[in-house]
Amino acid sequence: MRFEKYCQPTTTSECVSLLKTYGSEARMVAGGTDLVPKLKSRAVRVKAVIGLEKIAEAKQIIINEKGLELGALVTLRTVSKSSEIKAKWPALSEAAGHVSSDQIRNIATIGGNVCNASPSADALQGLIVYDAIVNIVGENGTRKVPIVEFFVGPGKTVLEGGEFVISFTVPTPKENSGATYKKFALRGDTDISIVGVGSNIALDADGKVASAIISFAAVAPTPIRSTEAESLIMGKQLTDELIDEAAELIGNNCSPITDHRATKEYRVEMIKVWAKNALKDALARTK
Amino acid sequence: MTRFIGKYVGQNQKRIDAYEKVTGRALYATDVAVQTRDAVHMHALVSPYAHAKITKLDLSKAEKAPGVVGIITGEEPGIDWESFPKDAIMAQNNEVIWAGQIVALVAAETLEQAKDAIELIDIEYEVLPHVLYYWDTIKPDPVSVVDPMWGKRDVVTDRPMDEIDERVSPNVVGAYKLDTGNVDEAMKTADIIIEKEFYTGKKTASQMETPLCTCIYEPNGKIILSSNGMGVHGVVKMGLSKMLGIKENMLRVVSPHNGGSFGSRLAPIMEVLCIMMARKIKRTVIYRLTREQQFTTAPSNWPGISKIKMGAKKDGTIVALDWYVAEECGAAINNSYFTGRMCASGANMCYDFGEARIDSCAVTTNTVPAAEYRGLGVPESEFAIECVISEIADQLGIDQLDMRLKNLLRKGDKNCVGEAITSTGLEDCLKSVYQSVKVDEPSIQDGSVWKRGKGIASAGKQNTPLGRSEATVLWNSDATVTLLLSNDENGMGATTALKQIAAEVLKMPIENIEVIRADTDATPYDNYGASSRTTYTTGNAVRIAAMDCIQKLRDEVGRAIGVHPINVEIEGTKAIVHGYQVPEIEIDTLFKPINFFEQGNFGLMKGTPVRGHGVYCPAPVLQWGADGRCARQWNWYQYSACAAEVEVNEETGEVRVIKFASAADTGNPINPKLVEGQIEGGVHMAIGFSIMEDHFYDKNGMIANRNLGDYRIPTIMEMPKNENVASIICPDALPDGPFGAKGMAESITVPVAPAIAEAVYNAVGIRVDSYPMTAEKVLKLIKEKKEAAN
Amino acid sequence: MAIVDKSYERVTVNLVVNGKDYTVDVAPFKTLQDVLREDLNLLGTKVGCEDGNCGVCTVLMDNLAVKSCCVLAPQAEGHKITTIEGLEKEDGLHPLQQSFIDYFALQCGYCTPGMILSAKALLMEKPDATEDDIREALHGNMCRCTGYKKIVEAIEAVRDGEYKDSCGEV
Repeated sequence: MRFEKYCQPTTTSECVSLLKTYGSEARMVAGGTDLVPKLKSRAVRVKAVIGLEKIAEAKQIIINEKGLELGALVTLRTVSKSSEIKAKWPALSEAAGHVSSDQIRNIATIGGNVCNASPSADALQGLIVYDAIVNIVGENGTRKVPIVEFFVGPGKTVLEGGEFVISFTVPTPKENSGATYKKFALRGDTDISIVGVGSNIALDADGKVASAIISFAAVAPTPIRSTEAESLIMGKQLTDELIDEAAELIGNNCSPITDHRATKEYRVEMIKVWAKNALKDALARTK
Repeated sequence: MTRFIGKYVGQNQKRIDAYEKVTGRALYATDVAVQTRDAVHMHALVSPYAHAKITKLDLSKAEKAPGVVGIITGEEPGIDWESFPKDAIMAQNNEVIWAGQIVALVAAETLEQAKDAIELIDIEYEVLPHVLYYWDTIKPDPVSVVDPMWGKRDVVTDRPMDEIDERVSPNVVGAYKLDTGNVDEAMKTADIIIEKEFYTGKKTASQMETPLCTCIYEPNGKIILSSNGMGVHGVVKMGLSKMLGIKENMLRVVSPHNGGSFGSRLAPIMEVLCIMMARKIKRTVIYRLTREQQFTTAPSNWPGISKIKMGAKKDGTIVALDWYVAEECGAAINNSYFTGRMCASGANMCYDFGEARIDSCAVTTNTVPAAEYRGLGVPESEFAIECVISEIADQLGIDQLDMRLKNLLRKGDKNCVGEAITSTGLEDCLKSVYQSVKVDEPSIQDGSVWKRGKGIASAGKQNTPLGRSEATVLWNSDATVTLLLSNDENGMGATTALKQIAAEVLKMPIENIEVIRADTDATPYDNYGASSRTTYTTGNAVRIAAMDCIQKLRDEVGRAIGVHPINVEIEGTKAIVHGYQVPEIEIDTLFKPINFFEQGNFGLMKGTPVRGHGVYCPAPVLQWGADGRCARQWNWYQYSACAAEVEVNEETGEVRVIKFASAADTGNPINPKLVEGQIEGGVHMAIGFSIMEDHFYDKNGMIANRNLGDYRIPTIMEMPKNENVASIICPDALPDGPFGAKGMAESITVPVAPAIAEAVYNAVGIRVDSYPMTAEKVLKLIKEKKEAAN
Repeated sequence: MAIVDKSYERVTVNLVVNGKDYTVDVAPFKTLQDVLREDLNLLGTKVGCEDGNCGVCTVLMDNLAVKSCCVLAPQAEGHKITTIEGLEKEDGLHPLQQSFIDYFALQCGYCTPGMILSAKALLMEKPDATEDDIREALHGNMCRCTGYKKIVEAIEAVRDGEYKDSCGEV
């Protein structure tokens, strides 16, 4: 691994200007657990690496009546263990807690997980199920992007030159809602997910589905939501039969790949199994 | 021979290397490299294609790159490449035959510079068709012939190899057949016949420390070599003399602490290439394989493919075994090692089959060449035998334990090869694991998607009589002892056990003994730590050396005081003397002091130890006849039984081992806690290859899962919780072992997969035909069963 | 290293390692693992893989277990680093070191420094850690030799106070 310079900007504008200067010859580092192995293997080559550790806003956690302002540099350990985050956004804590092992979570960050943009990533699924907003800083100020629109391909995001992610806004969950994230892998959290399913169900006064988010890891080039399945269950009682139907629909509509972790046939089977489990679990949590 | 428990032998002596390992003071090859000054770093360029012609290889830019000191390719003149271990044979004749084969080695002042230079190598390939699996390579006209020169060379081998009379494929490179003479008639008397095919995955030892070798170049051209390889004398020094003509007095091989071997470091793949570069550029060289290269360029282990037919009477007596087994040994050229016989030996240990016919062979493919690995082929082959026996028992309604006990070979019985079993504790092993897991009681189901079941299996593992071990005991003039050994210490604790043996024989407090290990300029010959031979072979050498030392001490003490040695006994630091005015003498007082006026030429002299030496080599094996049989084909057998309880997820196919008991017959244990450690570690490793470990290839035939994130070695989570893990020692003393010890480390890996397979059958009613029993495979079988039922 | 390589801009990093203050002047791309081994001669932190999977490089950063192969040296600034060398005291071994010896919780020993440090971090956070807690805390430390059973026994012995009198606190 080699690069020429390590930069530690102290303000967001300094960071923006460094990013503009170096362009594609610089990468941001957060925890380093994704970037450093890539630099070592020379899969990524840069002139400069930029760390945000001196920017205080990147580490903030602010909870108010609107929701949660979660700094990009908050570690997955903190997200998974914070009692305030667990209390209101349990699926976010769980999703962060499913990443690899303690050692990784102790330094890996929620922002790093999002910007690394792996289609198999777990922690970011916890943001998707709560319909979070990504707060991006660039030379023209801040802009906001809904989390699921942030990803455009494996490892690719909507970030333009000179832009970086400073924080996430996670709205307070609706009344009568429940959310969950299920990771499926053969060696538990150690492995990259074979499939992951997140779900957030909100019920109306009659117990019918008022809103739904069903999201997936490792079944497409990016993290995705299944809008067909979400529409299917809207306005209905979420019975076991409807859950089965939704799972079949999802399985038949997705096209995962075969790789050295799993075949596409198996992934399709597992999507159905875990979509069911996620929907049941989210429903149970609405109480 | 009854079980021996002495003052040291049979006790749980703490490991002699534990202090340095828990404090971080232990230096491994990777640490020695950091401390070595003025070294160049060597890095390998490996082929990304399983089979290709190199159409262009232009080194000119690389040679001029900053810091580059030397480059080696397969064209290096004056090298007898075919004598090299297979994984170290660099691409020959502009052809690469597996993805991971080394094309060029670049040495530069820093590792980064070596990597930069490698990127400047201008190389082009013409991709050729490849074969990756047994079924593609066994065809009469395979799309790739891995070693076209096979059979046309003058092959010098010190291993007996059978002739292959008719090859069904040009990729068959070894054969072994056995026939007791009447299999077909015997099979006709069977009430039940099961005929099945099995196969296994391909695995990598994945020691935690990746391979690394440092060659220090001395001014006179002598090399001091330090690596995490094995066998400083037998493998490295003698091997390199043979391969490169290095004179014995120009090479010193030392062995720092070692981060694991499991047999896989038996071939000096690192040492031969490192020393080649060091001698070429006359510089100190450090050569390390990355974790990825450990998968692609360090040895794999061979899959076993079986077609097995077994017949039995309705009371469970086995009457005939008709068995084809193939070893898939990767891209071996000039194979003189794999013949099928190692896998075939799976039939030798446990059972009386009545009549047996074994047709075995070895085939090559364009994959990482295989080398020794814990189990030496029998986990793969006994899987087939055990699964069929379990199925016969189930079909006949006979209890799994009874079925096995009915057919077990007992001491003195002859196996299908014609050898008499000299020692077996298998019956006790089976009974104890059966009781421990309560195999006769079905699993308790909890109504969830996780279904539980239990299974049991037997196993044996052959010990190859692998040459000699020597040991020297130096009884110093201050009554301390130095033990000189060249055994391997890969973590199993062999050195501790050997020290215990020395202390026992010398009756010497163990704290008085220090070990110097594995320095070819200081310690005597030992072949290597393989096939579980160290406790047996080196242990015997230590016993002999200690006894030799005692005899010499008796002579010297007798001479010093004027008493016949027959009346002198040695006990630790004392001589017990009969017929003398003093019954006990501290021996160190008899060494003449260092004083210019009183030193002499003879007898006990201060500063000069009394030296005892021991050499032990097992009796040679016999060459077998055309029927593959003889009275001594292997040295002895170690045994194990395993009972496992699993849970299988009906929706995902996941298999989890939730409880196991493993019993091992290791002969009398020298150190029971060390034996337990081998049992727990061995079963854990076997759980890995039974349910998770395998090579997956990309479209170029390169291992796609070449890292520990995707090559699934088991973590702590894959081990059952402690209260569900039982390690049991059921020794049957080996008559020729030191204090009745055999050796162990391997037998426990063998029964795990078939025990799991039978447990899976009892859980979800499906029979696997292969391992690893991955979730995908198991789910497919579960679904097929459901569909067949509908 | 006195010879200066001008192709990169060195960084000055202030580290506290095993209670001692260091200021190092290193290449920006050095990892914490490199600095510990190459510049501070602390070879107890091992090298296992290039991709953050095996765990033999585990050290503690502010009493949390981290994989030092993934931490760039400048990112270690301002943190309290503990390596295996920091556990042995003048008057004896750390309780986990002694228990690992007594319970035969090691074989080749290559994973042992990382394993002990992960266990220390766990017991500092959860003095009453259950076996499930131990398994969760240690699954990032891969061991190929022991099968883990004796490692768990050694940690439980410390948890249960067996070494409090002889070796002190975790």
